Amino acid sequence: MPQFQQIEVFQSLIFWSVISFAVLFFFLKKFAFPPILAALDEREKKIRTDFEESEKLKQDVEEIKLDLEKKLKAAHEKAETIVQLAQDEAKKLQEKTVQETEAKVKQVQRQSEQEIDSSKNKLLREIRSYTAALTIASAEKFLKKSLGDADKKRLADESIDQVVQEFEKR
Amino acid sequence: MGNPLHHFEVHNVIPIHIGGLDLSISNAVIAMWVGLALIGSMFVLPAKRGLSLIPSRLQNVLEIALEFIRGMVYEFIGEEEGKKYVPFIASLFLFVLACNLIGMIPGSYTITCQIVVTGVFALGIFIMTLVIGFSKHGLHFLGILVPPGIPKVLIPLMIPIEIISMVARPVSLSVRLFANMTAGHTILAVLFGLAMSSVMIGWLPFGFTIAINGLEIAIAFIQAYIFTILTCVYIGDVINLH
Repeated sequence: MPQFQQIEVFQSLIFWSVISFAVLFFFLKKFAFPPILAALDEREKKIRTDFEESEKLKQDVEEIKLDLEKKLKAAHEKAETIVQLAQDEAKKLQEKTVQETEAKVKQVQRQSEQEIDSSKNKLLREIRSYTAALTIASAEKFLKKSLGDADKKRLADESIDQVVQEFEKR
Repeated sequence: MGNPLHHFEVHNVIPIHIGGLDLSISNAVIAMWVGLALIGSMFVLPAKRGLSLIPSRLQNVLEIALEFIRGMVYEFIGEEEGKKYVPFIASLFLFVLACNLIGMIPGSYTITCQIVVTGVFALGIFIMTLVIGFSKHGLHFLGILVPPGIPKVLIPLMIPIEIISMVARPVSLSVRLFANMTAGHTILAVLFGLAMSSVMIGWLPFGFTIAINGLEIAIAFIQAYIFTILTCVYIGDVINLH
């Protein structure tokens, strides 16, 4: 095998391979590896930081969500209370209006009854005075003599009472 | 049919003789330089141009490669101690990988087929582990020769066995890489020789060369990986002892 027979080339092979390795090692160590390893570390660091930040943001979002839900719930409750109050108020107002209307109706009714009563009395009085005059006139003609004032009045009253009683009976 | 081992021969291209040393630049060295230049520029140029937080395709490949090697180092050496060895281990992986892969180009040369090259690297790593071990643990480092939990009676027996196992490490490390690369290229040479020898049924071994070529590319990666992972294991052993 040439690898064991060509002893004369051993020196140069050893020398150049060791020197070449040393040169490669020097260049890679000085120029290539530090930036590449730094880039790797930097990316790892960035990913870790970003991950932690996203975790933190997630927590924050969760807290905000809870807070908002709480606020929303409170707002709902408040709205419900307001609606309830408005409904109560409306009901009260309605009841009040109904009561007032009823009272007014009753008052109007009373007034009407009073007016009817007073008209009735007035009418009765008028009827009475007409009836008295009529009775007196007819009685005068019937007796063909004048009566004293006291008899006239007594006769008239009796006639009136009679007429009124008759009238009321009807 | 020609000699399938013929292409393992090294030819000097630029003869250089300094003193008594023959430092000639051969076809093997030139092929290695081409491979190293390619892989070196693949890493250095994007890094010099500036890397972005959102990586491009090439940057992604480089990062995956480096992260893979770093993970390997951290696993076997430990994160604290391993940090300073990452550049060395990554360079070693890329060196072996570049040398293995450049040899897949026909007419090129795989310098890792030379046992003298793999041997020098394996020996260098072995000496490095000894230096790390002694500098870290002092004379306690010799405790690596006594596995934990063995009866005291067995210690005289275990120490020579452990010494042999320690010494076998660089031997196995170098021979493994050399033998795998040599075997793969020999098979390729034999199959291609067969393909060229017969026009009628030559397509059959030629088809095999294509399949074996794919396999060889995989082996180039696997052997580079094994070479570096064993280096990590050896360094990890001397740092963490038992």
